[in-house]
Amino acid sequence: MGAKSVNVEVKSNVVKSPSGISVIWREIVKDKIALISLIFLVLVTAFVYGVSLVLDQKEIVKVDLFSIYEPPNDEFILGTDYGGRDVFGQLIIGTRNSLSIAILVTVMTGVIGIVYGLVSGYFGGHIDNIMMRILDFFMILPFTMIVIAFVAIIPKYSVWTFSLIMTAFLWMGLARLVRSRTLAEKELDYIQAAKTLGTSNIKIIFKHVLPNVSSLIIVSMTLSLAGNIGLESGLSFLGFGFPENTPSLGTLLSYARNPQVLEHRWWIWVPASVMILLLMLCVNNVGTALRRATDARQRRG
Amino acid sequence: MGFLKVEDLKVHFPIKGGLFGRTVGNVKAVDGVSFNLEKGKTYGLVGESGSGKSTTGRAIIGLNHITSGKVLFEDKDITGVRRAKTDIRKDIQMIFQDPYSSLNSKKRVIDLVAEPLRNFEKMTRKEERIRVQELLELVGLNPESVLKYPHEFSGGQRQRIGIARAVALKPKLIIADEPVSALDVSVQAQVLNFMKEIQNELDLTYLFISHDLGVIKHMCDQIGIMYKGRFVEEGTSQEIFNDPQHIYTKRLVAAIPEIDPKKREDLKRFRQEVNTEYEQAYNDYFDEEGLAYGLKPISDTHLVALPEKG
Amino acid sequence: MWKFSLRRILIMIPQLFFLSLLIFVLAKMMPGDALSGQIDPNIDPARIEELRIQMGWYDPWHQQYAAWVGNLLQGDLGDSFRFKMPVTELIGQRIANSFWLSVATLIFTYLIAIPLGITSGRFNDTWKDQLITGYSYLGFATPLFIFALVMLWLFGFQLQWFPSSGSIEPGLEPGTFEYFMSKFYHLLLPALSMALITTFSTIQYLRNDIVDTKQKEFILTARAKGASESRVYNKHILRNSLLPIAAFLGFEITGLIGGSIFIETIFSYPGMGQLLIESISLRDYSVVTATTLLFGMASILGALLSDIILSIIDPRIRIK
Repeated sequence: MGAKSVNVEVKSNVVKSPSGISVIWREIVKDKIALISLIFLVLVTAFVYGVSLVLDQKEIVKVDLFSIYEPPNDEFILGTDYGGRDVFGQLIIGTRNSLSIAILVTVMTGVIGIVYGLVSGYFGGHIDNIMMRILDFFMILPFTMIVIAFVAIIPKYSVWTFSLIMTAFLWMGLARLVRSRTLAEKELDYIQAAKTLGTSNIKIIFKHVLPNVSSLIIVSMTLSLAGNIGLESGLSFLGFGFPENTPSLGTLLSYARNPQVLEHRWWIWVPASVMILLLMLCVNNVGTALRRATDARQRRG
Repeated sequence: MGFLKVEDLKVHFPIKGGLFGRTVGNVKAVDGVSFNLEKGKTYGLVGESGSGKSTTGRAIIGLNHITSGKVLFEDKDITGVRRAKTDIRKDIQMIFQDPYSSLNSKKRVIDLVAEPLRNFEKMTRKEERIRVQELLELVGLNPESVLKYPHEFSGGQRQRIGIARAVALKPKLIIADEPVSALDVSVQAQVLNFMKEIQNELDLTYLFISHDLGVIKHMCDQIGIMYKGRFVEEGTSQEIFNDPQHIYTKRLVAAIPEIDPKKREDLKRFRQEVNTEYEQAYNDYFDEEGLAYGLKPISDTHLVALPEKG
Repeated sequence: MWKFSLRRILIMIPQLFFLSLLIFVLAKMMPGDALSGQIDPNIDPARIEELRIQMGWYDPWHQQYAAWVGNLLQGDLGDSFRFKMPVTELIGQRIANSFWLSVATLIFTYLIAIPLGITSGRFNDTWKDQLITGYSYLGFATPLFIFALVMLWLFGFQLQWFPSSGSIEPGLEPGTFEYFMSKFYHLLLPALSMALITTFSTIQYLRNDIVDTKQKEFILTARAKGASESRVYNKHILRNSLLPIAAFLGFEITGLIGGSIFIETIFSYPGMGQLLIESISLRDYSVVTATTLLFGMASILGALLSDIILSIIDPRIRIK
């Protein structure tokens, strides 16, 4: 009993070391551009999600024939589109929708890519060989075209099916990255040691290998978040993204496929373009700062 | 009852090649190795890098696939047992060469040392922490450092963490794969003496793998000398160091530096003898492929791989 | 090298098989069939059923697949029911446009990337390098279609330096010099728009490779034996860094296909990408299937090309 109480006391004054998260945080704060980007992203996200709680999406996408193609004025800060719909409202809803789907797709591709890469790299041999052949095949398919073809034939088309289709053809990059790191990682003694200690393969994969490739995963997923914003808006621009009653940033841009709109009604497509550019640029900035944080050689301080 | 018995162990790695990646040949990392290990003793495996000594150790514990042969532990056949949760996993543990890569750098000391406990013993958080702190104390580390990361320790301290983790389950056999060769010489002796201490304290048996004859001489009761995947000589520490028979062993022994100046002349003479024999008769000790012959007993405990004829 | 190429080609066969299977499934999933476009409302539905049975519509899928592949191998891609002509003929008109657009884009990409990449790598961490790195960073973050829209708006509409749509001035005689010049003129803005954005990866690759190579031992040796700076760059560094760029040519094809869909839509350039989008909105599914298949095959062949060029340049790959 006496010995136990001593040990419990010991607990309270043990030395705790800084974890990896604080290193990353320090790096982002040090990089002014990344910090500004992060603040901007947080503000935009909070704003669009907050406002869209109040804003009624149905009200915004309702056609109003009395106010078609109005330039920016007091009533409509950014004017209206061909259906008399408020562009500013659509911009907010669109940003929210674009962000949501980009995050959704990033998370789903992340999960698939991580598990696929870990399994392929950890078990190696024939399993790895077959899994890599499958991955190569997916890699070769031209993304935009194959997604368009799938979107065109899916009968019950919704935001969910759209993101599933995108996910189906976007997981390969991360999978390949995780796999190559896992291949190197599993040769290290700590993995061998875990085996001799009686740890099961599944536990080794998720408790040993995964934490050691996590920084790579975070960086790569951040960068692919930026890419996914671009891909989604690109597909919506072509008319193969969101249905028109759920506008995304790409939907607003797709109005510019009409030369009349492109030439004379800048207020419809320029704000959305700027928003996409800013979002992608900021996410990229944060991503590059993260990459520096995880790579000790590039760290700034 | 035999403690650990290795019979004609072979570990071959296939070489892939050709148009469809077929197996075109084998690297014979371990090619027919047999030895016995008695309880409470230390058996030393010596050889140059690539001689198959580490592979032998890894094959026994199940890290390398065994091509053929048998491994018996307390008369149970444990050949190729690779499943995670078996008693053998508790009874046989391993200490790794590199104290830097053998500890997961993302984990705190408590998680590292508690890993085997979590796999085999159901303990509460509190019991677990107490046990880990006991283990740290046993290996001479501050029990308060349970929440530190491995990179905050020196190489010697890290190796002690590795040892604490290996003895956590109270194993019977520990395979020590070059446990000190990554450490500074000053720290090596510390760790070796400490390993001897806990051997008595916990009634451990060591399979000690090293390329350093000095270390082996210090630690081992019995020694096996490996060359290109085969044994060239096996015997007690006495026999190997005082009466080496095979030319390869002789050259190894002759290469050990002598500290005592009075004996240096003797050593010099011995070296010259060995060198002459080496130049004249080296090829007689090996077959056409440059491999050692089968072992032949020259006494009860001393076996040498001498050629069939002559 | 021959062994590697042969093995690589063998890998391609299952790839082509799975591609064809994928496209076949896509084609089967598409609403309607080859008849729905041709059917006259006056024809008796029983007659249609008869025709469908005749055409193998109800056969087991593997027989249908075999028949479909058989037709493919004979160059029969079916009929477009909107344009009322064989798909091969329809594609034939567009494919040349897309081909020239791709060639022009590639030429511009390399024309921009090589000098910028070399400058950036040679004078790394100077203001020139920072400028170029900044440009390629922006290029990395900018979606192609937004950039292309801005280019069209600026040069097509505001400044009117370039035509804003089409691939040729109407009423010109094919084969004449004017015809050729008009084609080239129409091609310029789309190709430039795409090249300016896609070039960033090549610039970055070239820069990093040169910076790496600069610190290698053999470059130090070359300097040490007194080679002039320009000789060091032309003879030693560039030879090492430019070759891989050549090998990426094949991989560029996949990127070009993705890009061409946007570029051709935005500039109303009558190529394969635009055809795909058009035929989807017209529900002309036999054309959709055919274009998808052709794009997929082009990508597979591109990857093959790159791998083989890489294996010639870099012997280490062959061992794998």
